[in-house]
Amino acid sequence: MSTESRSHDEMLALGDTVLARVPAGTEAEVTVTESAMALTRFANSGIHQNVADRTLRLRLRLVRDGRSGVAEMQVASDDAGDALVKSAEAIRSHSPSGEPVKPISPDGGADTEAGYCERTTLVTPEERADTVAAICAGADSLGQKAFGTFETGGTSIAMVSTTGLRRAARHTVAELIAVCRGADGSAYGARHASDVSHIDAAALIAEVTERCARNQGADATEPGTYEVVLSPYAVAEMLLYLGLMGLGGLAVAEHRSFMRFGERLMSESVTISDDVRRPELAPFPFDGEGSTTRPVTIIDHGVCAAVVHDSVTEKRSGEPTTGHSLAQPNSEGPFPRYLCMENGSGDDASMVAACTRGLLITRFWYVRPVHPLTTSITGMTRDGTFLIEDGRVVRPVRDLRFTQSIVDSLADVRSIGAERRACRGYFGATLAPWLHLGHFTFSS
Amino acid sequence: MRDIADVAIDASVVAGATYADCRVVDQRMQSVLVKNGRVNSVTDFEDTGVGIRVIVDGAWGFCGTQRTDRAGLEDAARFAVRIARASARTAVARVRLAPTPAVTATYVTPVSIDPFDVSLDRKIELLLAVDASMDLPSVTTRQGSLAAVRHHQFFASTEGSRITQTIIETGGGIDATATGDGEVQSRSFPNSFGRQQLTAGWEAVLAMDLAGNGRRIAEEAVALLSADLCPAGTMTLILDATQAALQVHESCGHPTELDRVLGFEAAFAGTSFLMPEMLGSFRYGSEAVTISADATSPGGLGTFGYDDEGVAAQRTLLIDGGLFTGYLTSRETAAGFDQPSGGTVRAESWNRLPIIRMTNINLEPGTSSLEEMIATTERGVYLETNRSWSIDDRRLNFQFGTQAGWEIRDGRRVRLVRNPLYSGRTPEFWNSCDAVAGASEWKMFGVINCGKGEPGQLMHVGHGAAPCRFRNVAVRPA
Repeated sequence: MSTESRSHDEMLALGDTVLARVPAGTEAEVTVTESAMALTRFANSGIHQNVADRTLRLRLRLVRDGRSGVAEMQVASDDAGDALVKSAEAIRSHSPSGEPVKPISPDGGADTEAGYCERTTLVTPEERADTVAAICAGADSLGQKAFGTFETGGTSIAMVSTTGLRRAARHTVAELIAVCRGADGSAYGARHASDVSHIDAAALIAEVTERCARNQGADATEPGTYEVVLSPYAVAEMLLYLGLMGLGGLAVAEHRSFMRFGERLMSESVTISDDVRRPELAPFPFDGEGSTTRPVTIIDHGVCAAVVHDSVTEKRSGEPTTGHSLAQPNSEGPFPRYLCMENGSGDDASMVAACTRGLLITRFWYVRPVHPLTTSITGMTRDGTFLIEDGRVVRPVRDLRFTQSIVDSLADVRSIGAERRACRGYFGATLAPWLHLGHFTFSS
Repeated sequence: MRDIADVAIDASVVAGATYADCRVVDQRMQSVLVKNGRVNSVTDFEDTGVGIRVIVDGAWGFCGTQRTDRAGLEDAARFAVRIARASARTAVARVRLAPTPAVTATYVTPVSIDPFDVSLDRKIELLLAVDASMDLPSVTTRQGSLAAVRHHQFFASTEGSRITQTIIETGGGIDATATGDGEVQSRSFPNSFGRQQLTAGWEAVLAMDLAGNGRRIAEEAVALLSADLCPAGTMTLILDATQAALQVHESCGHPTELDRVLGFEAAFAGTSFLMPEMLGSFRYGSEAVTISADATSPGGLGTFGYDDEGVAAQRTLLIDGGLFTGYLTSRETAAGFDQPSGGTVRAESWNRLPIIRMTNINLEPGTSSLEEMIATTERGVYLETNRSWSIDDRRLNFQFGTQAGWEIRDGRRVRLVRNPLYSGRTPEFWNSCDAVAGASEWKMFGVINCGKGEPGQLMHVGHGAAPCRFRNVAVRPA
């Protein structure tokens, strides 16, 4: 399959051909998305699934006389533009009159491509297989089996509108995930980058096989409240759910958010921002309505500072959009995309040394909100959980279920790591450090 | 579609495939969302493409393409073959497929009223009317949605199968969220997760009676704001049919997926506690518990004529009177056990690889009733409509929360309670089941967000379930 992607000019021209078909006097926004993705999946130290696809998606939003309609097509035919306009107009004309979300005007933001690397788009099936072979060999040499994925791909998005919006950008993602399993235990590790050459497979397999070797023959430990030392993988998961539950402007407007602006709810050492400037997060410069994504300090030294906005919550709250919109219209509101926890000066070794009795946790699994206002979440530990006693990791323990308020746990931060790791999220990625928390509640 | 598939299949064979199949897919989805008295969005989505799956040198390759011209299809077929050759360099064992007969067939979801024939005006009018009925003080968010899906697919394989299928789905649902005094409470109908959906026509929406339930769920959401917290302790638990369906999904459906057992999902969705040596001897649940995988159940989202490997829809028992008796299988995984495929392989879209997915995993009806279960419960809770769900990667340790609960004392519902949670371990929980309601209270539910596979695939699956009762369950407030 051809690896050639459309250029920005070609993407914009495609958008223009749709726009040209829109009836006069109608406001319109066209989004053209092209993605090319390849993923090699391995289990039991061998490749068992291996896929690639290229997808072109056209989305048209029409607004006129207070009526709005949206049509989307994932088709490559020449007459797609005509069909798209016909479909969106049919919906628009049947919608009741109201106050629909309108296409935005250009905000002058730059279409930077900090998250794009051409090399990532050129990775071949053979290269992915070679990397997987190295991962599997590393596991096999230690009597372990390797499982995971190696994904490479890129996405280009162009937006044009009757309000003068005209922008295009692209980003790439490379992600290598490895789980190693021994006779009686497993371990997890992952690397995420926009530049595939930053994926260090050798370091990953060393990390995961070492953890797997230690995580054999786990015994149960009593549920209860423990100190915890969380790896960046676990911290990223926690931050992700904090963002989903309460860091968007609509959650605040609908009284579903825990945020109390100006109040200190977390430890003074905690600063959380959404930072589109971090290249390791494979950032994209604009959001689903074409607004430039801007850095936002959300928690400032423990104090609730701000949430992210789109044009709808801008209207409701008076706070300007931060460029975190999903495609409009939507009922979910804006979400953070690039959450970053400010780093400290610690590391996992110093955190363990400072821990009297606690758990060292590699990864959280199947995390779900329990209550949005208390930021209570539940989930399981997975792929590497260890008991710490008197400053030493003493043994692996069986996985435990936790039910814990994120905000409460971040109000008892003992130490934050200096090194941070980029981890994939739902809408983007998260930059997370190691974290030592004073309490975390495990129920079973 | 037939011509497209023929080109793809021929090109795969020429390039070196020893097996190839091709799915040509044309899918349309229309959704309408009303929120707080306004139309939030009306969207029409059309998705067309071709998925080519091949075996070369005993290994799999897959390529998805939107190009349907000869050159584009040949290019994609060659790339699928190249991917398979790369797979073969690090494959553990050569892929072997359980035999399945070549068929030429057509299947169409039986519907009374095509949902795409119902005007947008009528759909919007219905949702706005229901929205108005939920407009109570303290109800800060009211939402209603309707969806219609038409999935048209042509399947062809080098073994000679040629199958045309048209699956039609129709769904709808409403939610009311009340806030106040530092609390937020939601009620949904007929189910949470946005909507209830079936392989059926517009008649499915009419049967829901959304209009007749809007005011009730709004009032319940408001009442929950000031309701007492759910009591804590070990007690009798009665689940409504919607929550029973999700309990089946998480703790019976997923662990019986044979690809999980074999480690295919070990790095993502997880494995399973159900080892092959447990088949036929492991007591999964009490005698009241019989669970089937039934791709022939009328209305289920896992109902079809043939799966995405061309295997005919079928009904198998996963748990029979409490005994673990079967897995969900594909041609590849079944071959390892010298069994025929269970016909449970599906892909979310043309650009995704077909993998083992639940069909309709049904808790078969029992002989009790909700009324009888409550009347014969001394102390416990009756819980309705899922709010949170979590289970470990082997599908043993779970915790669920529901939107509403009612405390039961001496055979009567005595008060509404908020924020209920219950937890347990899968076999102990199902072995504590002492009653399942009968066929008159058994309903088919659709889950539209079942996640599995990498790249991620959200599959639509079905669960027939009825209210059921469990003894000695850990219950507490969130």
